[in-house]
Amino acid sequence: MWEHRALYVAISPFYILFAVFGLFPIGFSLYLAFHKWDGIGVMTYNGLNNFKYMLTDAEFWQAVGNTFMIWIYSTIPMLFFALIIAFLLHAPFVKFRTLFRVGYFLPNVTSIVAVAIIFGALFANNYGFLNYLLQSVGLPVVEWLNAPWGIKVAISSMVVWRWTGYNAVIYLAGLQSIPQTLYEAAKIDGASAIQSFFRITIPMLRPVILFTVITSTIGGMQLFTEPQVLVGNDGGAGAAGMTIVLYLYRESFINNYFGYGAAVGWGMFLIIALFSIVNWKLVQGKSS
Amino acid sequence: MIRRKRTCWTAILMVCVLLISGCSIWPGQDDSASNKKVALTLWYWNRSIDDKLIARAKEKFPNIELTAQKIGGDFKAKLKTTLAARSGEPDIVALNDWIMELFPSEDRFYNLYDLGAGDIEDQYLPWKWKQGVTPSGQMIGFPMDTGPTALFYREDLFKEAGLPSDPEDVTRQINSWDAYAAAGEQLKEKFGGKVFLTDNIATVYNQVISQSAERYFRPDGSFIGMDSPIVGKSWDTAVAFKEKGLLANADGWTPGWNAAMNNGEIASFVGAVWMKQVLQEAAPDTSGKWRVARAPGGDGNNGGSFLSILKSSEHPQEAFELVRWLQSPENQLEQYQTLNLFPSAPGVFDDPAMKEKEPFFGGQATGPVFAESAQQVPDAFFGERYPSVHNIITRRLNDVAKQNADPQQVWTDTVHRVERELQR
Repeated sequence: MWEHRALYVAISPFYILFAVFGLFPIGFSLYLAFHKWDGIGVMTYNGLNNFKYMLTDAEFWQAVGNTFMIWIYSTIPMLFFALIIAFLLHAPFVKFRTLFRVGYFLPNVTSIVAVAIIFGALFANNYGFLNYLLQSVGLPVVEWLNAPWGIKVAISSMVVWRWTGYNAVIYLAGLQSIPQTLYEAAKIDGASAIQSFFRITIPMLRPVILFTVITSTIGGMQLFTEPQVLVGNDGGAGAAGMTIVLYLYRESFINNYFGYGAAVGWGMFLIIALFSIVNWKLVQGKSS
Repeated sequence: MIRRKRTCWTAILMVCVLLISGCSIWPGQDDSASNKKVALTLWYWNRSIDDKLIARAKEKFPNIELTAQKIGGDFKAKLKTTLAARSGEPDIVALNDWIMELFPSEDRFYNLYDLGAGDIEDQYLPWKWKQGVTPSGQMIGFPMDTGPTALFYREDLFKEAGLPSDPEDVTRQINSWDAYAAAGEQLKEKFGGKVFLTDNIATVYNQVISQSAERYFRPDGSFIGMDSPIVGKSWDTAVAFKEKGLLANADGWTPGWNAAMNNGEIASFVGAVWMKQVLQEAAPDTSGKWRVARAPGGDGNNGGSFLSILKSSEHPQEAFELVRWLQSPENQLEQYQTLNLFPSAPGVFDDPAMKEKEPFFGGQATGPVFAESAQQVPDAFFGERYPSVHNIITRRLNDVAKQNADPQQVWTDTVHRVERELQR
């Protein structure tokens, strides 16, 4: 091993960077979770108090509930639309495919802050574009950003807009890896298009669907920028847009409870881990 | 093979040298050239100090090599990270009205009294000065600009509704929150509910409480309690404004607020002097229609900033001389003219520059109104937990205003929430 030391040095930057910016913060946040710290002064040992406070804090549980609601509001339509778009892009009659692929992917690389500002203008209670549309067809105005469900719909729609194209591109890659011979064999056996979709496409796509569900679970649980820019650090009216990470951010960086913020981070880690396992079981379970 | 290995090592060495060379290949060049100069760094945010003034400071203090850095983004978070890291700290730093959050870390700052601040204390507004002094008597923040409040109102709308419209008359007649609410009802009636008295519930609560000498904590750090008359009065006033339908529910710093101001949906609000700039940018179409009168219920202050010298600085005395010059009454007056930063040195309030007529306010000179207000601001102790308690209350008031939550129930909840907050 020693004679290859030059090569080890050559690959060391990744490991050094990972240790400094990955491993150390993880370890430090665990240490911090058992302490009280305002970010500048001395840290004092706090035992399990941070975790106790978290478990008994109504705002934390509200944030957990909000996060799940927004996840459901966004992930189901997002994956559904993504599958349809991928299926259409895969269809032989579509022209300019690359153009469409780039087009659908574009929202994903747009600045999220700019997106939030635009959506803020769409959903604004007064002078909002959606309310303008509703009024012009004679419908009553909806106070999108005052109603608890309205805030969640606004945030979810941003997530859908941003990630549908991304998932569609992944589904498209999955579709292209299904051997054409399977469809031909099904056709010879007299299967309809719908039958081959549900009997060939969906089962063959299962690993890809699992991947998108897990990534959107992690992404959904970590939702932060959209609500922060759209409704502010307090989660908007009635804290209806308060997500777990937004809560973590507010408690740490606005209220200066860094130890508590670290504890919330670990609580969130547990929730994501549990939720990912449940999802994995659900999606994987059917095939076995 | 050996050759190849050597080449490999040489390459790695080269990379290392290149990486390190940025700071160590040619050391001490600056030191040898001007070894008598004192190097100072200053952190500030855009529009907190005039850049031209900083340029002049460099001429004024030839012995100081000043590096002024405009810190963008979340200034407070960047400062706190730097303080936590204990490295790369500037010598002088600007602090906003969240200065009290740093009081527990007073040992990280120089006590400006030790550097001679006491000699010029009488040149500044006493209440402003005290905001930079910690409960243990250390002065960590030197007064910069300040934010006295007043009533901004639409002269044309007030006149149309049959209300007093001349600033003097408004000050005299709409002198209490009750009188202000009554004016709001008159406006509402006259315009059939299309014009609201003011923007949102948090503004009302903030302004009532900013007019009092008491907040949530005593100087010894103990909590006064949610049953204090001041908190009760502020809460009840805010809720009453909601129940009478006087609020447009337009939150500050949103496009909706700007639009409502520009469209004449909001007839007035109580705000700090720096709202002049915000309003002019938000509602250019209403130029000439606004006036400023003294705030109903008394004078208060919102915001304002400070300059501090960090303990890590090696040249505190030079830094203090610079701070003292930058915030001298004359230079504060100059920054009022260039950046609209309201002076905290009352000695310049009588200067003609403070009495200039402003076209946006229909030719009214608003400076004297704010100057009067600045001299009447009550002296109040905040305490380092002021922001978190205040934030809980205004957050819950929003539920009352926007979701029609039962005020009594929200109040009970809020009391419980604040108590929990103070236990941790």
